[in-house]
Amino acid sequence: MKVSKAILGAAIGALLTGSAMADTIKVGIIGPFSGPFALQGKNFQAGVEAYMALNGKSVKGHDIEVIYRDLPAANPAQSRALAQELVVKEKVQYLGGVYFTPDAMAITPLLKQANTPLVIFNAATSAIMTQSPLVVRTSFTTAQTTSPSGKIATERGVKKVISAVSDYGPGVDAEAAFKKAFEAAGGQVVEAIRMPLNTTDFSPIMQRVRDSGAEAVFAFLPSGPTTLGFVKAYNETGLKQAGIKFFAPGDLTQESDLPALGDGAVGLLTTFHYAVSHDSPENKKFVEAATKAVGGADQLSFPSVGAYDGMHVIYKMIEATDGKQDAQKAVDAVKGLSWTSPRGPVSIDAETRHITENIYLREVVKGPDGKTYNKEIQTFPNQKDPGLATQ
Amino acid sequence: MQVVAQAQRVPAPSSVGNRWLRDAIGLALIVAAGLAGYWLFPDNLALLTRVIAVALLVLSLDLITGYCGVASLGQASLFGAGAYAAGIACVNGVTEPLTLIVIGAVAGAAAGLLMGTIMLRAHGLAQLVLSIAIVQLFHEAANKASAYTGGSDGLAGLTVSPLFGLFEFDLWGQTAYLFGLALLVVVFVVLKFIVSSPFGMLCRGIKQDPIRIRAMGSFVFPVLLKMFVISGAVAGMGGALAAISTQVVGLDSVSFELSANALVMLVLGGLGSLYGALVGTVIFMGFEHIVSAINPFHWMTMVGALLIAVVLAAPGGLSGVLETITRSARRSKGGRP
Amino acid sequence: MQTVLSIAIDAFAYGMALFIICIGLSLTMGLMRVVNLAHGAFAMIAGYIASYAARDLGLGYAAAIFLAIVGTVVISIPLERLLYRRIYGRPELTQVLMTIGITFCVIGITNYFFGPTLKTIPLPGSLSQPVDVGFKTIAAHRLFVMACGVVVAGGLWYLIEKTDFGIKLRATVDNAAMADALGVRTQVVYAVSFAIAIGLAALGGVVGAEFLPIEPYYALRYMVTFLVVVSVGGAGSIPGAVAACLLLGAVDTTGRYLMPEFGNFFFYAAVIAIVCVFPRGFFGRAQ
Repeated sequence: MKVSKAILGAAIGALLTGSAMADTIKVGIIGPFSGPFALQGKNFQAGVEAYMALNGKSVKGHDIEVIYRDLPAANPAQSRALAQELVVKEKVQYLGGVYFTPDAMAITPLLKQANTPLVIFNAATSAIMTQSPLVVRTSFTTAQTTSPSGKIATERGVKKVISAVSDYGPGVDAEAAFKKAFEAAGGQVVEAIRMPLNTTDFSPIMQRVRDSGAEAVFAFLPSGPTTLGFVKAYNETGLKQAGIKFFAPGDLTQESDLPALGDGAVGLLTTFHYAVSHDSPENKKFVEAATKAVGGADQLSFPSVGAYDGMHVIYKMIEATDGKQDAQKAVDAVKGLSWTSPRGPVSIDAETRHITENIYLREVVKGPDGKTYNKEIQTFPNQKDPGLATQ
Repeated sequence: MQVVAQAQRVPAPSSVGNRWLRDAIGLALIVAAGLAGYWLFPDNLALLTRVIAVALLVLSLDLITGYCGVASLGQASLFGAGAYAAGIACVNGVTEPLTLIVIGAVAGAAAGLLMGTIMLRAHGLAQLVLSIAIVQLFHEAANKASAYTGGSDGLAGLTVSPLFGLFEFDLWGQTAYLFGLALLVVVFVVLKFIVSSPFGMLCRGIKQDPIRIRAMGSFVFPVLLKMFVISGAVAGMGGALAAISTQVVGLDSVSFELSANALVMLVLGGLGSLYGALVGTVIFMGFEHIVSAINPFHWMTMVGALLIAVVLAAPGGLSGVLETITRSARRSKGGRP
Repeated sequence: MQTVLSIAIDAFAYGMALFIICIGLSLTMGLMRVVNLAHGAFAMIAGYIASYAARDLGLGYAAAIFLAIVGTVVISIPLERLLYRRIYGRPELTQVLMTIGITFCVIGITNYFFGPTLKTIPLPGSLSQPVDVGFKTIAAHRLFVMACGVVVAGGLWYLIEKTDFGIKLRATVDNAAMADALGVRTQVVYAVSFAIAIGLAALGGVVGAEFLPIEPYYALRYMVTFLVVVSVGGAGSIPGAVAACLLLGAVDTTGRYLMPEFGNFFFYAAVIAIVCVFPRGFFGRAQ
């Protein structure tokens, strides 16, 4: 065991001294680059590359090198192994990415020893932030993007809503956040359905929606095939024609799914932090660069902006520490940081280290070119994460 | 050639001696490979620890598939039972690693008892489907009981106390790896004893011809059920090791995907020799790790190609290839006067 | 009553979609004794071809289906000659290894060429409208799927039970060596039935795309469902597959209506119960 302590000492030594002299600062990005969520991982990469294309590949003379590691599905053991390898073997100074909550949870216990901050590009459960003081998040939480829809529903004269969510962590979060916001605004959730995650035929659920007598349905499902099935069933079973409204967080109408959803999606109301159509010069530049990186305009989606701003935070951290590895100093430097992101004005909350951002109400509309897109029609400025705020 | 073949058939005493010798060499090789992994890849110990945890799962699958002929696509339910039991115990204050391993083994064994009772009612394809249904039910139950298991967010916040009060489970993962390696070696030795015991022989007999075994006066069901319980204990230990070293237990540990991967690794390595399970696990996970690091986006094609190539080139699994090589080497050696 | 009827019709539509996709697998597993886990991969390839034909080439729906079936079968021919022939008659687990390998390759290649987004196959106007059937509105393509299912079941039954080819096929299955000796060209029989199974997978992939959307991970995502349905029905049995699809479709749909939060419990508990009562599936052959 003596020997291994010696190695340990050598490793610590290498960590402390080696990086200060190095010209190249490595950033490790963990994301789902293959498998069922490959699209989201691709968007991570697009956001990172877009940022580096627009802002250069070096900070204060330190070259930045990005190393990607694939984590196809939620798998904490693999996540930890990848993070460990990135830190110990590749000597990365910053960890970023992470699509799923359990994967982030597996990395947080390592951060202190690794002296490495983790910038989360997506994983959207509030509790992650409380696991380690070295975590910063540039995405959103489900509660954050969902809460405004409670108010919107009542504003549109809806009193009774049935909620239908996929039966997993984020779905349950969304259900709770909506219920809270909607009831606070004076509405009533008449029924809350939790659907199996692997469901693709939703007609029986629609039958329940119809039978419940609600005036609107609130839904949350993971993006991809499930969303497609749900929206299709909503149209085909005549609920849309019957005037039953549809509210959801923007995961459901992410831009990369819109071509598949087709005209059926027109009129859906979703709340989210980013729409590719967002009208600002920053976004225009971003979309152009990210489209080039992702390889096609129809593949661009929200994780790219989380990654883009995540890289911004990492660049600011590198700037503050001048290339020295000091996780606490790096994190402290970005607390309270505010900037104009492609999604609009954002800032890192000094207390929770989670991003404060505008949430937009968007409606899916048909553009002049016949393609559908999310059109922002209402803004809820500077939303914090209600899940963390209440703690 | 014929002479050699006859020589191999030389009966009892010397071949028993040979077997012990062979097992001792095999064990020494495993220990050597494990330590070599420790020295050669000191920066990948978390990965290597994961390989060990999965190797325990694949070993447990070999017990029922390779030795009893019961194919299962639901072995992860036993692994997950161990992982969650250890995880829940750990969150509730039982933090001593050896105790957690025992808890995992007990939970795995209990799950094995349950699974065996259900699965042994059927045969062939139906059995395979039962195993799928069981792992899906386990998965669903773990998702539902999110108050205890954390559901899809994972069971986080496991703080394991240092091994023997001295060695911490830290970032570099040396403790976890050596602990895992020791566990693997102990389990392997015990399993070698079990499979070469009369009980193990009986299991092989059942695999080849259950009717004849029944005619000989043995009961098939209790024998297989016993193997299921042992298999469950081994898988449960793997799960507990994963929980201890990762400090998080996720739903993936009771997933169909993990079960299917385990079966693929086992068949890749070769059924029914215990060594095959280890070889298959190391090759599959190592290959996957390397190609996914080289190209994180399109590595799946390479893994698929590997599987196809193995079926075409070495239908008996990779350990079968090793055996043929050693045999032919021995043969050529024996050929020289 | 209205609710019961509408659940029943949803269940029937879903069951029929499952049937069209699964029956090909049932044939390969029951008649050719190949556990073809890559079955879903062929359905997916067909979906991509149909989507390409209909969306990018602007062909009609019928033409897209036809092209998809022909294209998939053409793709499968070299695979059959080079890979599948090596695993006929080999242990099941070897077949599993090979076909999972093929599935991984297909997924990787599809992802590389077509990207990870969902692909849709645009329906013709007549199939995309909701139709009022008296007690509920239902999408026209669901009626189309039901009709397809009935036609496929009937056609296959006729092919296997009443035609010359069916006799040869059954003879080959029961005793290949004997059939060979009697002058049946078993290699040809195998090749043709493999092509039929793939063709059915292709048809199922395209017309079932409204239920199971086409994306690169399709082949693995629904593998379990296909395998379960085939086994519950009894590999190789058409009435078995019909019964399994309808029953499991009904259990799934009803469970999702009554208690969606326990939907999966219902489904798999039903599977366990059925398998325990009928260990060979509903109409499985003794092996």
